Amino acid sequence: MERAIQIKGTREGLTITLGSGDLADALGDLGRQLRLQGAFFRGGAVALQAVARSLTIEDIVAVRDLLAEYDMTLRSIVANNDATRQAATALGIQVVEVEPPRQAVRPAPVEEREPAPTGDAMRGVLVKRVVRSGQTVRHTGHVVVIGDVNVGAELFAGGDIVVWGRLRGLAHAGCYGDETAVVCALELSPQQLRIAQRVARPSEGATRSPTGPEVARIVDGAIVVEPWDQARRKG
Amino acid sequence: MTARIITITSGKGGVGKTTTVANLGVALARAGQRVVVIDSDIGLRNLDILLGLQNRIIYDVVDLVEGRCRPRQALIRDRVAPELYLLPAAQSRDKSAVGPADMVRICDQLRAECDFILIDSPAGIELGFRNAIAPANEFILVTTPEYAALQDVDRVLGILEAEGRDSARLLINRMRPDLARRGQSLSVAQLLDVLNIDLLGIVPESEEVIAANVRGVPVAHEVETLPGRAYANIARRLMGEDVPFIALLEGKPTFWQRIGLRSRAREQNAR
Repeated sequence: MERAIQIKGTREGLTITLGSGDLADALGDLGRQLRLQGAFFRGGAVALQAVARSLTIEDIVAVRDLLAEYDMTLRSIVANNDATRQAATALGIQVVEVEPPRQAVRPAPVEEREPAPTGDAMRGVLVKRVVRSGQTVRHTGHVVVIGDVNVGAELFAGGDIVVWGRLRGLAHAGCYGDETAVVCALELSPQQLRIAQRVARPSEGATRSPTGPEVARIVDGAIVVEPWDQARRKG
Repeated sequence: MTARIITITSGKGGVGKTTTVANLGVALARAGQRVVVIDSDIGLRNLDILLGLQNRIIYDVVDLVEGRCRPRQALIRDRVAPELYLLPAAQSRDKSAVGPADMVRICDQLRAECDFILIDSPAGIELGFRNAIAPANEFILVTTPEYAALQDVDRVLGILEAEGRDSARLLINRMRPDLARRGQSLSVAQLLDVLNIDLLGIVPESEEVIAANVRGVPVAHEVETLPGRAYANIARRLMGEDVPFIALLEGKPTFWQRIGLRSRAREQNAR
């Protein structure tokens, strides 16, 4: 008989794979295995593989609460359908595409750069809430936030980042090496701004208060911030 | 009667969660409500000291969870306030002695007999925090006017919102309106601007609070003091009344200051 779930240890932590059967059965099976080996897994970070099925917000909360009973945290969800992706994003849980680009998110040498994602991977994710401290939104395509991005929050996008609100956390656009990516926000006052391999941060002690929407992009190898009005005129 | 269960939490330590619970407990009891305050900071209990009840503890929350006593036996009646009861934390155990389901069960046992259950959460976002938020249907987030506390409250809010539990209101503790006006501490407007939640109340930084905590009689008993008045107002807001904020605390310029500011602005324009 096919098991409802599989638990596998990896270098990054635990991967729990959900089968396509009834979720209640899968949760029951997971509960049994955690009772048997829970002490061993305690404190672990879990990547949930849900490729074979679609998960609602309630489903994810059920899994997360079950894991929390054993001091485990649900770090990411590997998903290949939009419903699951949106549910996970709504809960502030990192979504990993089925075949995540191999490259680390940190600035990496240019020659190892992935080809710019095309087609499917270049779609975006829309987040319609305040992204709060400790929350991360990550997508291979564009990231659009309607709401503020607070200090301590992080956005990572393979493509562009648009914040219809105040950007006060960290934003990394073109995180797989796309130097044409831009970051725009109604109020651009991030803790740190990254585009491709470039990093910029506000100068120490400077109290710069932007007066309107701004765009950050790479010009001659450096990140430059301009008011949206000027940027628009240049096209 | 079915009690409203409110957890007071903050993420960061030392911002005044326990002081808030003690004083709101007193203020609600003085307004005629039956109140149970629960100390969920197992291993580091404090709430009993602020209420001056530390010498009367026989059973604690862990005894109740493990079935060594009945709910009524574990509740300690306050010395001063008429209908205020404390369920103390255990001092000799740790957070793992109680789980979220235990907290839900305890509150279910108590909620038929009172109007409010206030739960004092430990600092952090680990198991102790999970225990404290499990039974609650409302939350009071306590911050002080500084960035570290603000960021931690923001983090806690994110966790609560991700679980769809978004009935959280903000209490700004140890407010210094004078510093805020000079831009040397965060203002009420700045805090609300980041957090995007409703303001429940503002309590000033005050020596009276410190002295009352040492005495073991919460400042909410002294309604003539500014913090005492602030707590009484917050209790009334919790009970559904629409009470205006004390203008001084909110840091909005008073009438006389407004006139002063205007004339200064005129002088500058003239120059």
